[in-house]
Amino acid sequence: MTGAMTPDDRSTLAAEYALGLLDGDEAVRARALAASDPRFGDQVASWSGSLAPLLDEISPVAPPDRVLAAIEQRLGDRPALPDNVHQLRRRVNLWRGFSVGASALAASLALVLAMRPEPIERPPVATPAPAPAPMVAMMEAEDSAAKLVATWDSGARRLVVAAAAGIAPVAGHSHELWVIPADGTPRSLGILPGAQPLHLRVEGPIAQQVGEGVTLALSVEPTGGSPTGLPTGQVIAAGKLQRT
Amino acid sequence: MPDRRPAGATDDAYPCSSGHAPAGHLYAQAVFLCIDGAMDSSVPMVMSAAASHELNPLMRSVASGNRGALAELYRRTSGKLFGICLRLLGSEAEAEDVLQEVYLIVWHKADRFDPGKASPITWLAVLARNKAIDRLRIRRLPTDPIDSASEIGDGGPSALDVLETRQEQQRLANCLDELEEQQRSMIRSAFLDGATYPELAEREGVPLGTMKSWIRRGLLRLRGCLQQ
Repeated sequence: MTGAMTPDDRSTLAAEYALGLLDGDEAVRARALAASDPRFGDQVASWSGSLAPLLDEISPVAPPDRVLAAIEQRLGDRPALPDNVHQLRRRVNLWRGFSVGASALAASLALVLAMRPEPIERPPVATPAPAPAPMVAMMEAEDSAAKLVATWDSGARRLVVAAAAGIAPVAGHSHELWVIPADGTPRSLGILPGAQPLHLRVEGPIAQQVGEGVTLALSVEPTGGSPTGLPTGQVIAAGKLQRT
Repeated sequence: MPDRRPAGATDDAYPCSSGHAPAGHLYAQAVFLCIDGAMDSSVPMVMSAAASHELNPLMRSVASGNRGALAELYRRTSGKLFGICLRLLGSEAEAEDVLQEVYLIVWHKADRFDPGKASPITWLAVLARNKAIDRLRIRRLPTDPIDSASEIGDGGPSALDVLETRQEQQRLANCLDELEEQQRSMIRSAFLDGATYPELAEREGVPLGTMKSWIRRGLLRLRGCLQQ
């Protein structure tokens, strides 16, 4: 989609997105482009800044006192940082450190084996292929409090999506999980079951498309899921699967 | 009537005039902080440069997790942001919800604010505008999947990034003036009322494709003017 766009097309798309003119699939694609292409993101930011003076035409209105009280109540005693996701990030880094350590250990063992004067007897059974490392996606959106962590076990084709924060139920709506593979077309993976983690075994051709670098996204949809088969509501969290 | 201006607001920051309610607001009893020359695009930013400048250290304090700084930032900016939410949503209850959400996002994401790219008040105003648009789109989603799919909208722009250049106010006004009247009015309506292409096409009674090419021509012309 982006390959054939001229610079004018890109600038116009950035303006349309900043203005909020797009809807449906066009909006989803522009949003994905803004999230994945920093140059396009800068163009959107530039249009937002250019158009922002229009907001000066709107007169200030004092909100009722209860709003600040509600904000402070919702903040509770939680500090701003570190939050759950930061803790999870640290955990992912720990996993990374562990797997690097494990590789180093494996390498030194290999060295020890290579230096043995006598070849060791091979075990009679073939060594099983090492299980691929699970992939993790940190799903969030800049302007949303929702934070989720998805883990993908490509061997078992098992996907687990757990909310770390901010998945408030919206009356009359569901949270639907999408995978956006290389072709850019979102495919539904299912509805998030409230606050419970979503456990999925991904079957069929779609399983081949889930992998490193693929985007997972969560959108707000009518109860029961999008009626069109494509995301129709706000994307409140998204992230790419990465190797741990 | 008690003075309900935010504590710390100066007359310089909130230049109040006659206090008439702007047309289109739905609740007469709301206390209007002030009228900053509505509909006169030559009036400078609502906050004076000095008042906006003072928000920079406040944003830094919020980013470091200072709750008092968040309350102070709220007192200084919530009038502006609530006005924006009300204008877009037309419902006081929904505007209050979105205002809450905006300051919770500010609390968690204030470290994303880059004073080199935009002033705090512009960043906050665009954030409030974008969140109100998101709410508008959610409201338009059918709660029953049988409803017409044509009414389904998507979330508006989400980026927290705002890139502001100097003297945008006057330049934008001048450049908008160079557009055809209808292009200008459509672009304003999209930004200030959250209208989408299909809504604008329906309102004007023209085919969707016509509306798109019409606005796209206007946007290209606007960009050419803004880049001069």
